[in-house]
Amino acid sequence: MLGVPRSATADQIQKAYRKLAKKLHPDLNPGNAAAEEQFKEVASANDLLSDPEKRRRFDAGEIDASGAERPPQQFYRRYAGGGAGAGANPYANDSAYADLMDEDILSSLFRGARQRGPAPGRDIRYHLPVDFLTAVNGGTARVGLPDGSTIDVAIPAGARDGQILSLKGKGEPGAGGGEPGDGLVELEVQPHRFFTREGDDIHLTLPVSLAEAVLGGEIKVPTPTGAVSMRVPKAANSGTRLRLKGKGAVRPDGRRGDEYVTLKVMLPSMSDPELEAFVKNWSAGKAQNPRSGMEG
Amino acid sequence: MVDRQQFLVRTRIETHVLETWIEEEWLIPRREAGGEEFSDADVARAQLIRDLKADIGANDEAVGVILHLIDQLHGLRGALRDVLRQRGAAPPD
Repeated sequence: MLGVPRSATADQIQKAYRKLAKKLHPDLNPGNAAAEEQFKEVASANDLLSDPEKRRRFDAGEIDASGAERPPQQFYRRYAGGGAGAGANPYANDSAYADLMDEDILSSLFRGARQRGPAPGRDIRYHLPVDFLTAVNGGTARVGLPDGSTIDVAIPAGARDGQILSLKGKGEPGAGGGEPGDGLVELEVQPHRFFTREGDDIHLTLPVSLAEAVLGGEIKVPTPTGAVSMRVPKAANSGTRLRLKGKGAVRPDGRRGDEYVTLKVMLPSMSDPELEAFVKNWSAGKAQNPRSGMEG
Repeated sequence: MVDRQQFLVRTRIETHVLETWIEEEWLIPRREAGGEEFSDADVARAQLIRDLKADIGANDEAVGVILHLIDQLHGLRGALRDVLRQRGAAPPD
């Protein structure tokens, strides 16, 4: 390990050890992870060979090279390095770089590190929650940048969940005069209280009263661009699906998808004696069996 | 944190040696009401000083110079790490 012959004198061993220790001591190589392991092996060999009794037993083959190990040493660099979570190092001082702080340390560091020339900045990814109707109709949403400022991002009409908008030049600054990167904003369209969206179409489950369902008529229906009138046909059942053409989300070609309205018949929430009396005397209603298809 | 007595036991150095090292400001323990306090970093630093003198054969003049350079190196590493961390800072989710 120390590279000395078997016949080496104590002086030769110490000289060889010091030479290696100077090179390998972990605290003299704070950034070299391998130095610690190598230093330990060298130190362990030195311990072995500098003890005449141990050396005799090693030479006689009674113990192996690791037979004499030092108590495990926590090297200073572990504390001084200020690694993740470590406190400030009270001994550290800025004599090595204080003069650089007068310049733009960022750019001077990276000019030194990348001699190859200007390098573009990296893109920064953002995640932006967008209101459902803003995504359907278009609008703006505010993005907070890492430096604390905000910008308003234009959300195109018909924007989809997961769509990525590119903000030119809003990424990290470039090095050495390189172009800044872009901000990449991924949209997360928030769910709506009653609309859902499939592609460019909007779906809506619309409660209608028993009277509206039986007799039909004009009712007001919410759409992403405001309420419109819709004609419910006579005897419209739960599950009946009606289409409002052009009331969906904006497509890339500028036209809109459709809104599909699925009716859901709601009985009055309070029991109604008049209705009960009518249904009791309604013979056709008793003969009807909506579950006939499920039997057998 | 350990007191002076524990520090001497853990680092296996003599009282008068410790006093010299503190006088040279190689070690700067915290002064508390109950006496001096030494951190784990101080223990490791004392072991480094011991290694410098015993293993590497540095004399007292050289130990002071080496410690000063190592302290500068760690200051520089800390500053460099801050720069790299800022540069690599992840965007908010």
